[in-house]
Amino acid sequence: MKKLALLLTLVLSMGVVLAACGSDDSDSGSSSSVEVTDVWTRATTPTQDTGAVYMTINSADGDTLTDASVPTSVAGKTEIHETTTDGEATAAEDSMESGNMESDSSMEGNSEEMHGSGDMHGDSGAMMGMKQIDQLDIPAGETVTLEPGGFHIMLLELKGQINDGDTIPVTLTFEKAGEVQVEAVAKDE
Amino acid sequence: MEVPGVRSVTIGRVLSATLLAVVLTVLAAGCGSDSSDELNGITRVPPAKTENVALPDESPESKGKTVALKGEDGGLMLVYFGYTSCPDVCPTSMADLRLALADLDPEQRERVQVSMVTVDPKRDSGKVLNGYLGHFFNQGEYHSLRTEQPGKLARAEKAFGASHELGKPDAEGEYDVSHTAQIYAVDDRGVVQVEWPFQTDPELISQDLKNLLENNSNPDA
Ligand SMILES: [Cu+2]
Repeated sequence: MKKLALLLTLVLSMGVVLAACGSDDSDSGSSSSVEVTDVWTRATTPTQDTGAVYMTINSADGDTLTDASVPTSVAGKTEIHETTTDGEATAAEDSMESGNMESDSSMEGNSEEMHGSGDMHGDSGAMMGMKQIDQLDIPAGETVTLEPGGFHIMLLELKGQINDGDTIPVTLTFEKAGEVQVEAVAKDE
Repeated sequence: MEVPGVRSVTIGRVLSATLLAVVLTVLAAGCGSDSSDELNGITRVPPAKTENVALPDESPESKGKTVALKGEDGGLMLVYFGYTSCPDVCPTSMADLRLALADLDPEQRERVQVSMVTVDPKRDSGKVLNGYLGHFFNQGEYHSLRTEQPGKLARAEKAFGASHELGKPDAEGEYDVSHTAQIYAVDDRGVVQVEWPFQTDPELISQDLKNLLENNSNPDA
C-alpha cells in the first residue's frame, strides 16, 4: 500500500507536464496547453517483445496527438494503438439473440468496462485485437485516457525487460503543443 | 435458462444489458438458490465440455507432456487463449488473474491451475511461454500449452467457444493477432463452470473461484 501511494505520488509529480502554456492568446492556434498525467507502463515479462504505455491527456483548447516515441535503447518502434473489439456495433442484438447468458448480474453498473461481456455472439466471445492509429484527437476541455482495453502507446521490438519501478522517457508530439516529454513509470500490476 | 421476451428488445445496449441482468436476477431469485446463480461471470446452458481436449504442455514440470484441459480432482483449471506479443489485453488478463488468485487462501489456491494456450505458436516457443507465465504465476501452477498443429488448436478452441485470427504478415513478417479474451474455469470433469470476459474485476473472479472451490470440496455438491 505504501509502495503504491509512493508510486502514485511519483507518477503525479513527474507526469504533470504543461506545454506551451500561453494564456493570453488562446484564440490563436499557435498556443495551446496539453496536460499529460498518470503516465505508466506495464512491467514486462522476461520473454515479452512488446509493451504498452498508458496515460491521461487533457487539453483545454483541443489538440491532436500525432506521434509518440521512446529511446531506441528501449524499443525499436513506437506506435499509437487502439485495442479493438469485433462485433461491437452489433453486440447488443447478438447477445440478446443468443439468449444463453444465464448469470450476468455482475455486469450491471459496470457496462462501460465490460464491453466483452456484451459481445457474446453465438458460441464465441468477442474477438479482441489492436490496430495502429495515425493520430489521437483530444477534444477541447475533454480528458482522453489511454488505458488497458482502449488506447495505448505500443512499444515494439523491446530491447530488454521493463521492470517494476523503471522509468521510460516518452516523447509525445502534438499538433499544436509540439513535443511534450513525459516519464512512464513501470508498474507490475 | 431461456429468457423469452428479451429477444426483441432494441433499446440501447447498456440499457438492454442492464434490463437483461435485472430480468435474469429476478428469474434466478425465483428458482431457488442453485450455486451457479451466484456466479459473477458468464455461464452457458448447456455448459461447454472440454473433457476430451488435451494439449502439449511446455512448462518445466511437463516438458511437452500432454495435459488434459480440466481441473485436477476437486480443482479448477483456468484456461486462456492468447499470445505473448500482446502488450495490452493479455497481460491485463494475466495480471487480473494473478490478483484474483492472490485473494484465495493457500489451500484453495493449490487446487487452481492456470493454462495459457498460445494462438501464435510460431512466435511463442515453449521457452517464451514459460518466461511469460512464470512472471505472473508460481512454478507448478501454470501450464504453457502449445501445439503447432492448427487443427489441434482449432479443436481446443471450438470446445471452449474461443477463436483467433492471424493477420497477413507485413514486409517485415510481422502480423496482427486477434483473439477471444475470456478466462474459462474448467472443473475436474471437464465442464466449463464459468467464463469471465476481458476486464472482469479480479474481486468478482476470486468470488467465483471461492464459490466453485467450496462447492467442489463437498463430494455431495
Ligand atoms: Cu498495440
